[in-house]
Amino acid sequence: MTSTLAEFIRDRAYSAVVSMDAEGIVTAWNPSAEAVFGHKRDDVVGRPVAEVIVPERWRAAHEEGLSRFLSSGAGRVLDRRLEMTALRADGVEFPVELTISAFHDGSDWSFHAFIRDITADAEAEHERERLVDELHRALRGSERRFEAIVGALTDAVTIRDREHRFLYANPAAVAYLGFASWEELRDTPPAAIMADYAVQGEDGREIRMEDIPSVRILRGEEAEPLLIRTVNHASGQRRWQLLKAAPLLGERGEVEATIMIIEDVTEQKRVELQSRFLAEASAVLASSLDYEQTLRNVAELAVPEVADWCAVDLIDEDGDRLPVAVAHVDPTMIGLAEELRGYRPDRLDPDRGLGLVFRTGESLLYPEIPHELLLESAIDARHLELLQAVGLRSGVVVPIRLGERILGALTLVSSGSGRVLDEFDRQLAEQVASRAAVAIENSRLYSQRSTIARTLQQSLLPEQLPDIPGYDLASVYLPAMAGSMVGGDFYDVWPVGDSWIAIIGDVTGKGVDAAALTAVVRHTMRTASEFLTSPAELLARADATLKQRPSLSVCTALCMRLDGDRATIAVGGHPLPLYLAGGRVAAVGEHGPLLGAFADVAWRDVAVELEAGSTLVAYTDGITDAVNRAGARFGLERLTDALKDVSDRPAAEVIETIAGALGAFQTGAHADDTAAIALHRCPASNTTMVLERE
Amino acid sequence: MVRPAEFKITRTTTEAGVTFSVTGELDLGTVPVLAESVRRLGGHVKALTLDLSELSFMDSTGLRLLIELDQQARREAWKLTLIRPRHGAAAAVLQATGADSALPFEAAPDR
Repeated sequence: MTSTLAEFIRDRAYSAVVSMDAEGIVTAWNPSAEAVFGHKRDDVVGRPVAEVIVPERWRAAHEEGLSRFLSSGAGRVLDRRLEMTALRADGVEFPVELTISAFHDGSDWSFHAFIRDITADAEAEHERERLVDELHRALRGSERRFEAIVGALTDAVTIRDREHRFLYANPAAVAYLGFASWEELRDTPPAAIMADYAVQGEDGREIRMEDIPSVRILRGEEAEPLLIRTVNHASGQRRWQLLKAAPLLGERGEVEATIMIIEDVTEQKRVELQSRFLAEASAVLASSLDYEQTLRNVAELAVPEVADWCAVDLIDEDGDRLPVAVAHVDPTMIGLAEELRGYRPDRLDPDRGLGLVFRTGESLLYPEIPHELLLESAIDARHLELLQAVGLRSGVVVPIRLGERILGALTLVSSGSGRVLDEFDRQLAEQVASRAAVAIENSRLYSQRSTIARTLQQSLLPEQLPDIPGYDLASVYLPAMAGSMVGGDFYDVWPVGDSWIAIIGDVTGKGVDAAALTAVVRHTMRTASEFLTSPAELLARADATLKQRPSLSVCTALCMRLDGDRATIAVGGHPLPLYLAGGRVAAVGEHGPLLGAFADVAWRDVAVELEAGSTLVAYTDGITDAVNRAGARFGLERLTDALKDVSDRPAAEVIETIAGALGAFQTGAHADDTAAIALHRCPASNTTMVLERE
Repeated sequence: MVRPAEFKITRTTTEAGVTFSVTGELDLGTVPVLAESVRRLGGHVKALTLDLSELSFMDSTGLRLLIELDQQARREAWKLTLIRPRHGAAAAVLQATGADSALPFEAAPDR
């Protein structure tokens, strides 16, 4: 053979190369052609191409095409990719892919075909088509019906073969996976699609290809629906998806393909997340009046569910920034974040970031934090280094405001997760901030009010209980939390001649009015005790005074007069005092009407002998009415039980026991004022000592 | 605040007047609710009955409200009737304060 360069290349080409002259006679046949068609070169050169490789039914068309080209120059099949059926030496037809080019050497035309056997491709394609057909049939109905149903679904539906390639995707799936066309999606390997996303399970663990339900089914496993959270690396868009897959079985029961439905549950998950976060944040904010601590807790709640880091800054009285909390998803970043926050410019830029939020009270959303913003914001090189190390991607700054007053700001930033914060996050942050504002304000008001309350309370209650010979005394007063106003409970102990008067009472109503009423009752009884000896008469006097007041002024009161080892007791609408002796606890005295409330009423004195070592406990209903978390009341029975063990103990121990039992029962703050006073009759020996000392 | 028994006010209007049947606990937290319900009646009602028979608890603020309503009824010349609580805890407060005899109570009808 001549060996021109063209021949050299032809004979080594991977494709079969067949040449023919203008008569349609084979002129060249390379080794690949020998392999593909099963004819030796020498057997075919000189024979008509049509006879050798064109199936009989196409021969006429072949010859017609050739003569048309030769007469008119029009070649429909030249220089483009064709798929045709070819004939092999053994008579079997097979699919080929070929291109045909025509060449004119100055006198004659010659034709050169480059041919590839695509039997394998065609089989694969055919298999896919068969599968899709079967699928369509399996899905009960014609292809049109399948398309009508699945094609119109807003949920993404895909069907994949055993290699996890797409056999089918409905328009929703094509769009959802971010492709312009079905063909584009079909030609993209599944792993490449997955690589575009950070994929996590609900618990935050990384999800790999082998965890995807359809892949598990292909492995022959059962696959529960899988909830995943994806973040698109490029767009930062976050999505929650519920993946549900089912096998499509072949005739022999083998898994031929899987159908997977991708349900986008982003909205539901975010709403769920939001309400859970808000509920937790509200509980945390309401749990304590130490607002700096609660803000730290809120910051920690926000991470990592809402953002990668969360910071809270407040504005102090001088308008200066006061960083109070920072939480980061990665604990090792806290140091970095803290150091970063240490960079406090002397003055916040009023046109940017926190400064802008403080100035305008409007929230800011940075879906993307551009590098230029970091450059502009950095105070020095180290600051810029820190800003970059944190890897800020996206941020939200919302004001913590109360009406027109701006108390501070809440900042949420995403970094490592690559998420882009959006309008939804901004709204969530605003809602948290508005709850935080109320908590901060309550806390501030509380500290102011409790100062007033403490001051007033000190002026209303005896600074210190007096020493009564033969007795030891102790008391407790727990002001009401609700409103933290001045409470309505009071007690007092004072001497009258050789006797002692002890009173305890509860003015219904709160606030300064209640405080004033308390003062009136105590003053009236103290004054009246100078000339009236009977506790019942003292109550009657207080009752009369209350009734003279312009508005309804009612009060419960218990009045006890101590003369040595005898107590005379009168009760006006108040819980009866408890007498503790020898392991027993009993209510003593007799109920009488509330003071200031009813016409034509009277009270009665009841005398009680006090054994040596016994104790009288007078208390207000704040103790028995106390409510626990389950809604149960503390009640008289619990009080009685608690006191049985300390029936012969000193007064301080009795009071501690009450406070302890109540504290263990109640979880939150007291809804009502609570007061108790214990008068312990000292054991005989002590009494003697006291008397001797006198 | 946690409420064990649901606080509920059921209103019944007849020719004779309005009845509020109050169940649950009447205390600091719920007194404003009942007070508001009564206030909303305005001056149109000639007779108001508070059926407290199913009241499980009452504290001093609840009692104070009853006293206020009693005084208001006398002042404005309408009739207030109170039905006694069956439950011990609420009844005890009324007895202990003398309200039981001083306020216009009637026994709960037998069931």
